[in-house]
Amino acid sequence: MAFINYSSREIQLKIVYYGPALCGKTTNLITLHEQVTHAQKGELVSLATDADRTLFFDFLSLNTKTLPGFTTRFQLYTVPGQSIYNTTRQLVLKGVDGIIFVVDSHWERMADNVESFANLQENLVENHLSLVQIPYVLQYNKRDIPNAAPINYLEFTFNNRANRALAFEAVASTGEGVLETLNACARLLLAKYSKTPNSNVAGIAPTASVPRSGASMRGGAVA
Amino acid sequence: MLTAEDQLAIESQLNDFLRKSEAQWSALVDKGGNLFAQSGNTGSLDLSILSALAAGSFAATHELARRLGESEFSALYHEGHGHHILMSALHFECLLVTVFGERTNIGLVRFYAQQATSALNGHLRQAHEKEVRMDPLALEGDFLSDTAAIS
Repeated sequence: MAFINYSSREIQLKIVYYGPALCGKTTNLITLHEQVTHAQKGELVSLATDADRTLFFDFLSLNTKTLPGFTTRFQLYTVPGQSIYNTTRQLVLKGVDGIIFVVDSHWERMADNVESFANLQENLVENHLSLVQIPYVLQYNKRDIPNAAPINYLEFTFNNRANRALAFEAVASTGEGVLETLNACARLLLAKYSKTPNSNVAGIAPTASVPRSGASMRGGAVA
Repeated sequence: MLTAEDQLAIESQLNDFLRKSEAQWSALVDKGGNLFAQSGNTGSLDLSILSALAAGSFAATHELARRLGESEFSALYHEGHGHHILMSALHFECLLVTVFGERTNIGLVRFYAQQATSALNGHLRQAHEKEVRMDPLALEGDFLSDTAAIS
């Protein structure tokens, strides 16, 4: 849950990158750490195994001046994707404000993606939350691979609902779509503090109220 | 949500705790890893990272204890060579994190931490009751424009 400190004029927001093992969650944070230049950024912390697999979480803190009169501190976390670390994923979700679900575009990883998305919803319930309450954004990662699943297939599988989530194509390893995904999630969270809030913004951003790019392109919103 | 008044009261409590216990640094952190208030000196350490790791460490150990059937788990102590950490559970999903060195000892820190815990719980309760009555934060702008929040 967002923490507002009126004394230091600071808002802290927690965004969690979720998704199956090796889908690119940590790569998103590594790329952000390199790409972000204007926001004040902290050190990237990775609690990983010797083989660079996330064991507990990765953490990156970004301070911005987006809201008038307030410093906004975005606390970015990843969860460990491997199935054996489910308890750890539940712990990392504690106090979450926004979620970026990273989908691996490999055909052969679809079952893992679906399982992870279901697991996310189960773990939110464990934390007395749901995707209706928590703003989330989808990122279709690894769009540069030759056998990437088509976007319309991914949209049908992960975004086939009345209120569609914002979805972005990305290649996290090169940086394409990484900042766009984070900014979409950040804007959804910040919109909660608007004097003229969009009534649908607390959960999923509806297609009509959030600008989307007209074309489906890497790094852009999925039309 | 903390008002300036809450912040002052909590920092004053942390200052008092540090003075009595001779600990180096103390902070009020929530179990999601947010730093609410702090007092003392950690040099150039990034306090966001310290808070995130402390909350993660406490959560992992707490879960381990829970699975072992230990329901009264309320504090966690890490002993190092020169620096030690004591984490104490507070109400409202918060933690008191204390870093201390060789000037003091765990017995003294734990003793005063228990007193501070009780006082901090009182402040947290007051802040919580106030929060329920306060209007939510509302700012100009819709924040949904294409302007990048982070760049």
